[in-house]
Amino acid sequence: MYLQNLSNLRKIMKISTTKKNDVLKKIRQLFNHGDRPWNGLIIIMSVIVLVLMLAIGYMLWQQSALSRVKFGWGFLVPTNNPTWDPYNDIFQAWPFIYGTLMTSFVALLLALPISLGIAIFLAELCPAWLRTPLNWLIELLAAIPSVIYGLWGIFIFLPKVVAPIGDALFTAFAAVPVIGPFFAGPIPQSGASRLAASLILAIMIIPTIAAVSRDVFQAIPDSQREAALALGSTEWETIWQVLLPYGLSGILGAIILGLGRALGETMAVTMVIGNSINGSISILKPGYTMASIIANEFAEATSELHTSSLVEIGLILFIITLLLNMLARFLVWSVARKTPSEARA
Amino acid sequence: MRKSLYVTMFALLVAALVLTACAQTATPTATVAPATEVPVATTVPTVAPTATLAPGSVQVNAGGATFPLPLYQQWTYAYQYVDPSVVINYQGTGSGAGKSGILDGTLDFAGSDSILSADQYTQGKDLQMYPMVASAVVPVYNLVPAKAVPTGTTLPALVLDGQTLVDIYNAKVNTWNDPEIAKLNPGWDGYLPTSKITVVHRSDGSGTTEIFTNALTAFSADWTAGHGQSVTWPVDKAGSGIGGAKNQGVAAAVVNTPNSIGYVELAYANSNGMSKVSLVNKAGKTVVANGASIASAMTDFATAFDAHLNAVIVNGAGDGSWPITGYTYIILHTTSMTDCAKASKIVEYLNWALTDPTAAKAAATLGYSVLPTSIRDTVLAKLAEVTCNGQPVK
Repeated sequence: MYLQNLSNLRKIMKISTTKKNDVLKKIRQLFNHGDRPWNGLIIIMSVIVLVLMLAIGYMLWQQSALSRVKFGWGFLVPTNNPTWDPYNDIFQAWPFIYGTLMTSFVALLLALPISLGIAIFLAELCPAWLRTPLNWLIELLAAIPSVIYGLWGIFIFLPKVVAPIGDALFTAFAAVPVIGPFFAGPIPQSGASRLAASLILAIMIIPTIAAVSRDVFQAIPDSQREAALALGSTEWETIWQVLLPYGLSGILGAIILGLGRALGETMAVTMVIGNSINGSISILKPGYTMASIIANEFAEATSELHTSSLVEIGLILFIITLLLNMLARFLVWSVARKTPSEARA
Repeated sequence: MRKSLYVTMFALLVAALVLTACAQTATPTATVAPATEVPVATTVPTVAPTATLAPGSVQVNAGGATFPLPLYQQWTYAYQYVDPSVVINYQGTGSGAGKSGILDGTLDFAGSDSILSADQYTQGKDLQMYPMVASAVVPVYNLVPAKAVPTGTTLPALVLDGQTLVDIYNAKVNTWNDPEIAKLNPGWDGYLPTSKITVVHRSDGSGTTEIFTNALTAFSADWTAGHGQSVTWPVDKAGSGIGGAKNQGVAAAVVNTPNSIGYVELAYANSNGMSKVSLVNKAGKTVVANGASIASAMTDFATAFDAHLNAVIVNGAGDGSWPITGYTYIILHTTSMTDCAKASKIVEYLNWALTDPTAAKAAATLGYSVLPTSIRDTVLAKLAEVTCNGQPVK
């Protein structure tokens, strides 16, 4: 009897184990269709991003129809005497395009040497005990909200740092023949000017470029450094002639990221640039950027044409960002084409 | 044993989480007892407390101009004690957003400093604007005297007249020691700096700009840039203009820029302790912006209301009138409201705001001017004409 129960028990257990194995098998079959469904899912995710971008572009195009039809290409043409007249409904976007492009490029110009210096220091020269705290500080700088930069700018940075720099630039360069007009007019006492916007943007994009460049330098294999040192080059020769060319495509990628942030930055720029619509090309005069005018005027835009013009400025900003990114990508591609194993003369 | 230690810790963690959750749900709901003395704060509230929506209460969604925002927040807070069954939610999104909100039906009533255009009246069909309080826009300045002021003497407030203000904003007068300014300010003889005037204006569209440009248009035919929420500023072309975002931005720009002039609402000039310009009005008298001069300007135009109860009250002819004054309005649908409980609550609230002495005291404390009795009666009479589903709203 006892033996019979035991064998019955064994049979039951065997059945339940088989049932369990069946269920597990069915579950496994659910996920075992191979790679194609997973590929499909990932492709859908990527397509969503593309669709989103197209939808934004389409919306911008549609909503700006009124002003595109009315002003045509004259909306974009560089002019010394710009009109942005909500009262008479005449709009031109050149001052904003100039402001955005100028402040972003000057910021990039100022930020690039500093960021590269930081990246090289962190990757090559920094003692190990200093590396982690310095890394952390750089990343902290990137995390500060842009409104804080704007507030700090208005109350401390502009009157105490930018205004003296502006005065110095004015006295030094205003009379010089070719570049004089870029430094025309004394800087306003409060410091609000395109120079202020450029400096604050430079501070904001330094951590982005520095962090990505540092990663690029750290990813360069040690064999390159060892080979350079074996050929008798000094530390600086290694950095300039071996590491920098090797990592150039990655550094260009970092620059793209920084430029993208500079082009779209709204809050900090609108607080320090002076918000003045004029045709001056001087860096010392107050100016305006595309993102700032949209942020300032959109909520209270007076007429359909005014709203449509602001959306058209948004469209222009969108297209400029796309074009600059494509240009930068092309640059990266043409640099990365050169294989690392090519000998450098 | 290790395993039992982990199990105990896990159990403690779960218990802690459960107890915290229980503690949060066990807060007793506050009961609001109607008080005999309605509390009025003496300072501008930074965050207006929101009442919990008890069942059976009416929720009113409103929004619009930011100029009267401190006052409306104070009023809705005080009204919770007067009538706890209604919750009024006013958001300061700007006059433009207020107007579009009432036009597309997302708001029950809107606040606006700027007047609806003819197109908007046609689009809205039955919109009516009701002036609630009046405001003054005051030019503020930041001057660094040319030579040291001897101790014991204070320089008087700067005096300007309409033509000079227009010339400053047209960039015709661009240094502070210009004869036009010096002629009006004998007390500043020798102290007016020789530096250029930095002129600050609004960078965003606003009812404040509309009131200010209305005044400039009325002062002189030289002002050709028009009037409205946004205009092209001639000082920008001349290179001496700076735009500040909202009243606070203009105030900050003037405070931070030596030898500058700008325009802000009176409440902001007072709360930032800024130096205010005294203006020579149409009657030739030098006036300061305060409750009395605003009230005088309102009385000057007491009969100037059109059927829509809109009036531009700049450059009044009275002796004591402040020349740059404007009403702030509430916009309401008069016949097409379908929720009659809500409609009657809104009309009751507006009646309370216009007639209750506590509401008037709140306005005066915060620097706004209530309507003079005759004008107020006109507005109340118009408010009584609001109907809901054909029946007059009680």
